[in-house]
Amino acid sequence: MTVLKKLLTVLCTVLTVILACPAGVWAAGNSETAATVPIWLCIPFAGLLLCIAVMPLVKGEWWEAHQPIVVIFWILMMVIPFAAVYGAGKMTETVLECVINDYLTFIILLFGLFCVSGNITIEGDFAGSPRVNVGLLALGTFLSSCIGTTGASMLMVRPVIKMNSWRKRKGHIMIFFIFMVSNMGGCLTPIGDPPLLMGFMRGVPFFWSMHLLPVLLFNMVILLFVFYHLDMRSYKHDIADGRKPDISKPGTEFKIEGLHNIIFLVMIVAGVILSGILPSLPAFQDAAGNVRGIHIFGEVTLGFPSVIEILLILLAAFLSFKTTDKKIRVRNHFTWGAIREVAVLFIGIFITMQPALMLLKAVGPNLGITEPYQMFWATGALSSFLDNTPTYLVFLTTAGTLGFTGGIATTLGTVPVKLLSAISCGAVFMGANTYIGNAPNFMVKTLSDENGINMPSFFGYMAWSVCFLVPVFIIDMLVFFL
Amino acid sequence: MEENNREKCRELATRLYELDGEVYKSVGSSLGRTFTGDRERTIRNLSSLMYTKPDGHLLRSEMALISNMARTIKDKDEKSRLMKKYDEIFKEIAALPETFVGVDIADKERMILNHLLKHREKISENDHLVICISRTQGSAGNDIGFGLADDLRINYYDVEIFDQVMRRLEAEKGAVTDAEYFADFNKYGKKKGLNLKKWFREFNRYHGLPKQDAVFFNMSDLICDLARSEDCIIMGRCADAILKNNHIPHISLFITAPFGIRVQHIMDVRNMNMKDAIHFLKKMDKQHKKYYNFYGGENWGKPENYDFCINSASYGIKETEKLIMRLLDEQIR
Repeated sequence: MTVLKKLLTVLCTVLTVILACPAGVWAAGNSETAATVPIWLCIPFAGLLLCIAVMPLVKGEWWEAHQPIVVIFWILMMVIPFAAVYGAGKMTETVLECVINDYLTFIILLFGLFCVSGNITIEGDFAGSPRVNVGLLALGTFLSSCIGTTGASMLMVRPVIKMNSWRKRKGHIMIFFIFMVSNMGGCLTPIGDPPLLMGFMRGVPFFWSMHLLPVLLFNMVILLFVFYHLDMRSYKHDIADGRKPDISKPGTEFKIEGLHNIIFLVMIVAGVILSGILPSLPAFQDAAGNVRGIHIFGEVTLGFPSVIEILLILLAAFLSFKTTDKKIRVRNHFTWGAIREVAVLFIGIFITMQPALMLLKAVGPNLGITEPYQMFWATGALSSFLDNTPTYLVFLTTAGTLGFTGGIATTLGTVPVKLLSAISCGAVFMGANTYIGNAPNFMVKTLSDENGINMPSFFGYMAWSVCFLVPVFIIDMLVFFL
Repeated sequence: MEENNREKCRELATRLYELDGEVYKSVGSSLGRTFTGDRERTIRNLSSLMYTKPDGHLLRSEMALISNMARTIKDKDEKSRLMKKYDEIFKEIAALPETFVGVDIADKERMILNHLLKHREKISENDHLVICISRTQGSAGNDIGFGLADDLRINYYDVEIFDQVMRRLEAEKGAVTDAEYFADFNKYGKKKGLNLKKWFREFNRYHGLPKQDAVFFNMSDLICDLARSEDCIIMGRCADAILKNNHIPHISLFITAPFGIRVQHIMDVRNMNMKDAIHFLKKMDKQHKKYYNFYGGENWGKPENYDFCINSASYGIKETEKLIMRLLDEQIR
């Protein structure tokens, strides 16, 4: 039986990898450019995904202890053949470009939000019930657009865990938390999710994303309705098991400690916004219009806006730690485990996915994708496994080159509102399809694992997203993108 | 041999529960430990998991959660000490014989209660005699319950008394600040016309829980306390399900009668016409069923949920009392 299960897991993984790399399939098409990126260079990325999905199931403790080694192995498996095909110089440049300009800002933002939110504790004896949970999810979803999906996830995850600590069946709460707070909620502003920030940097107006409010509300209504009934079922079972929350005190005590950390949270959000605004200012551009910065290697430069963002975030994290009582972190069960795991796994994901992204960039514009629903699914399917920011950019560029005359004027061309909405929704929403679709997904999973909540495996989580998210996306397509 | 295995499982479960407590204390978190249920129930559930299937994935995932938390302990010596304890327990569990090879038993408690296995859990000398009576409206369940309490000389708790106790309980907590009493409280449904101010006040008073749920949780505490401290008869209020879920020995009865006879009884007692009596009974049955199914997690009125089911119309009030007394006689002795 166990062997059968493992076999099934491997088969599912292979299927996932095939789905995860449609670029490989498309690359077999007519595109000449695509031919310059060998599909087999995507194998290390697929291998790493396979490890993330399967290893915790088949050799959990070994995987936990040896994650860095496995990640290094797959990085080498990508880097060495890449160097053989393109030369050591190109390889170094590609890896450094990815590490310096993508991974560094990504992980530092995550680190900053992780530190600051870990210093805020919400003390209250609200008992996790379906209606409280629906309220928390709705609040978190809107908060995501104000402080980003990562910020909102980190801020809300501990109170949600704490309020539901009396319950036995609570994995589904964290799954819907990932769906809504860690992903969907980020669609209303460029602060919400990095792809929208990229769009903003390329001329999409700051408040344009508010156009996505009807889609978000529509999805929230469906998902919260489903969640309420699911949660009610579990709640009833918990009560029937004789579990009850501690409501012995009259009335609810509610207080927030470390509230001054909101200032540091604002500092981080400001850093993110600045990184989007500064590159377009003349003071940060050289004569050729390139963003000024610290030259690293070849064409790799760490732009000054990114330096400012990094410094601001690190300063916020430092001040947050210096000004907050250690007891708050202890009560929050603050550990470095979650951020360490994300840092290790995502450097591997970022580096090994470069060939897949190169393929996507090469074949993306030639895919013949012109309709909003096609953009929605293509951007979404790839964002489920790849970084959603470059995916968004590829399809935004494609849309910009289609020659439309009406719509939103961006630096990449004019993009019709419906098309831009489809790309934005696909990139932001479908990051929720897998644990690796968006960084907060993994953080929430790890934090839940550390605090007594049984989270599903990689495929278990995908089963949840296929059952509950994909149908919602199909309805989205029928209602908004056809 | 089987008894030894059972004892071993309980001992391991107790150690696991205590280890979880130690881990949580060492971490210093306030987000909740792995086993958040009460001690006795958690140990019972864990030992049941071990006894029925030591290699089961459910037990493994429960244990993994403790080790996940233990790995985050900052003090290395403490971490090593607790992980060593964890490993010892883990090895001992792995070495347990599979008593029910490859068979999942859905509800072990029910199985134990099955008299065919001759393992029925009897009320021991140290336990109090607690009789939980569920009844349909109009089956004279209250009269029978009251009569039994009188015969047995034990306390009788019915809905009015509970409401009084609840009111006192809330008053003691200082939570009742308005003129609202629990006598007005409808446990079956939400009150209409609740304004926002009142909604917020209730939200705060009941820790974000719906009022019905908060009252149920309080009542559930009270029923458990009563059952642990005195001999009594408890009418309705899901008492049988609450005590079963809290593993408190008790005897559960379900008293009913044919619908036509209940209608007649209601017409006589409440001075109603037939149409109103039928409507009233149907409404009450529906509410009882909904309430019991929600909070008890079982089907109200299903014979398999009770120790005895009696048709009071077949014997009348006095005869039913006598019959129950005879049935209880051996148990009481």
